[in-house]
Amino acid sequence: MSELVTAHDGRSLMPGAKSLENREYNLFIGPNHPGIEGNFALKLTLEGDTIVKAKTEAGFLHRGFEKLMEERLFIQNIAIVCRICVPDPDPNEENYARAIEVLADIEVPRRAQFIRVLVLELSRLASHLFTFGGHAGTIGLYTMPNWSISDRDRVLDLFEELTGGRVYHIYNMPGGVRRDFPDGFASRVRDVLEYIEGRLPDYDNLFFNNKILHKRAIGIGVLPPDRAMEWGTTGPNLRAAGFAHDVRKDDPYEVYDELDFEIPTLTDSDAYSRLMIRRKELVQTIGIIRQVLDKIPEGPVWNKQPNPLKWRVPAGDVYVRSESSKGEYAYYMVSDGGVRPYRVHVRGASVTHGVHILENMLVGTRIEDASQLMFSLDACPPEVDR
Amino acid sequence: MKKTITQRSAWDKVLTNLQKRSLWMLHYCTGCGAVELPPTMTARFDMERFGIMPMVTPRQADILLITGYLSVKTLKRVVLIYEQMQSPKYVVGFGSCTINGGMYWNSYATIKSLDRYIPVEFYLAGCMPRPEAIIEGFTELIDRIDRGKANSWEDYYKNYEFYRKNQEHVFGIINTGNDIPDDAKYFKIGEAKK
Amino acid sequence: MSAQNSTAQTADPRVRQPEAVVGLSRSEEDIIKVLWDVTGNDAFSLKAPRRIEGVVDSDKLHDFAFLIWSRVGFQHLSAISCVDWLAEGEFELIYHFWSYRDSCLVSAKTRISRDSALIATVSDIWQPASFFERDVHEMFGVVFEGNSDLEKYILTDWDGPPPMRKDFVTRDFAHNHFHFRDYEPDWDELVKGGYHSNRGEGGTDV
Repeated sequence: MSELVTAHDGRSLMPGAKSLENREYNLFIGPNHPGIEGNFALKLTLEGDTIVKAKTEAGFLHRGFEKLMEERLFIQNIAIVCRICVPDPDPNEENYARAIEVLADIEVPRRAQFIRVLVLELSRLASHLFTFGGHAGTIGLYTMPNWSISDRDRVLDLFEELTGGRVYHIYNMPGGVRRDFPDGFASRVRDVLEYIEGRLPDYDNLFFNNKILHKRAIGIGVLPPDRAMEWGTTGPNLRAAGFAHDVRKDDPYEVYDELDFEIPTLTDSDAYSRLMIRRKELVQTIGIIRQVLDKIPEGPVWNKQPNPLKWRVPAGDVYVRSESSKGEYAYYMVSDGGVRPYRVHVRGASVTHGVHILENMLVGTRIEDASQLMFSLDACPPEVDR
Repeated sequence: MKKTITQRSAWDKVLTNLQKRSLWMLHYCTGCGAVELPPTMTARFDMERFGIMPMVTPRQADILLITGYLSVKTLKRVVLIYEQMQSPKYVVGFGSCTINGGMYWNSYATIKSLDRYIPVEFYLAGCMPRPEAIIEGFTELIDRIDRGKANSWEDYYKNYEFYRKNQEHVFGIINTGNDIPDDAKYFKIGEAKK
Repeated sequence: MSAQNSTAQTADPRVRQPEAVVGLSRSEEDIIKVLWDVTGNDAFSLKAPRRIEGVVDSDKLHDFAFLIWSRVGFQHLSAISCVDWLAEGEFELIYHFWSYRDSCLVSAKTRISRDSALIATVSDIWQPASFFERDVHEMFGVVFEGNSDLEKYILTDWDGPPPMRKDFVTRDFAHNHFHFRDYEPDWDELVKGGYHSNRGEGGTDV
């Protein structure tokens, strides 16, 4: 019998094991990996190339946001709150501002509400284009990120013109938005929308109707529709399972109840349907932005609150919900009447998607589809870690 | 053993020219600044025309881009990765969180000053830096390599004791599996004081 | 027949749910009445459109979480939040339940003592709660009895006190534990003398 080989930390490795216990092996897809969205780790146990057990590990992006927010004034938090969700930062600002408005009973001008919807929908557009690029990268179709992320840059140029920052805007304030449209902004928005609409047939030819995508994504990563609600799925993942639920329709905020849009649903609930739901939502989003530009009234954009360094928000608590591009995004804010928030709890959309739904769905898939599954669920690690 | 620019032989110049035009960047998105990397890599700003491409494994990468803040948990992995990279290697601190903590200055989970843990070649200020700033930073790096001044990697061997002490203060003792004093002898960099 | 809840109207055979989920959407007053009938708790009141709030005793919370799923028909646990009331010596846990059928949120608040932070888990009824409780356990130190998955998730290398508690001051910890860069520039000099970029190509006067 050959000698047992010892590893450098004293464990013995037995070559040629014939018992069943040694058929499984551990594979860590660690934080430094291009197949993982962001900074996140997966600890997998495989047998052959099928995953039998999966555990996620987060915490690489932890900053202690909720604690940081308790030590800053209400107005200082606006500068940091957008960094909780990196690809889609605007729901954070809008939820935070709306929570303060509900607690302090501040009225937001109509024009500001329309501008907020515009900014939220543009952010959703940018986030979906980013997701297309990411998903294509996991399958090996590298032309799609080059196209979609470059087109997303045009939306970021619009943001830069309106708010001053490409990705993190610091634009929503309690009471409205910080400044009005620059001259000619509305026509530039329409130009970008027309451009993106004109690109959709190109995207279809390149990516959505691509046979490689069909072979690799149809039937893969099925989220069982009868377990979807039980597992806490929200957002596009729930709509791909057949349920027409959207926070913008069920629990309307800002001026979504005055706008006319549909909720696309599909029933297959696989990776391809989740991708196609986002593509259909892109079309709906373009429609919403056009309606906002048509219906926006004139008026002030900011109900300015005096003495921002000494704001006192009346005591109380509120739970505001919104629909980010990834799912249900909610803030729970408690104020004790002081100048700082007493407690802010951020419920990101990925706390369910990126943790136990991913762990449940990875069981039974093959290792080559693991990365695609994570991107198709659109799990964003900064939301899990805060 | 740094030669001045006039002492360099023709072969050194050829080597520097080849090296500066094929820097591979490790594909590791460590923080929230990483969202400006895909625009820099794709068609609009196209980093690849400088020869800078993303690479998945640290063994074959030259540049480690620390995009934004580092939580203590990530720092442990970054130190492991840094020691696995082959010299000469360049660390670029991206964003103001690497300089002095940035907006997370009072957080219990992020480090405040990157160059206490690994030597940094240069910093890009901003929160986050725009893709144009990233490209300008990389052209500055190429320029420095050309002039023979991009030698911060040697600092790790010279002051290994200092870096190790700071790392252990933050995340405890780990076994990286790399023998740094031994590597220092290979590069003939003084005696790494133990 | 409200247009909002068109998929919850008919019993969807793919969805495993109790009978109470099916039906027309109810108004908030009806929901408060149903909660009273089913759980015997009359502390619920309407706070705002689509927001109902009420207090539940901590030992009755597990039954409440079961009844609100099986008999009242709420399908979605949105979040479990925890607030540390240091002055009163209590933790307040808030369970946010959302009903897709009625488009209404019920926030059930419960208080437990800060010293022996113990409450029964609801993860046997609501699957997302296993992660929410793990998060609250890690950040506040609350122990959820019956949840077997309470290992550390985010703070795996952390050996200090639960960081979200109010007696842990993060600013002091950051100053003591981490090193900041020593950089105290003489701003007047810098502004007067003009700014010189470190490329050595000559400065630009500010």
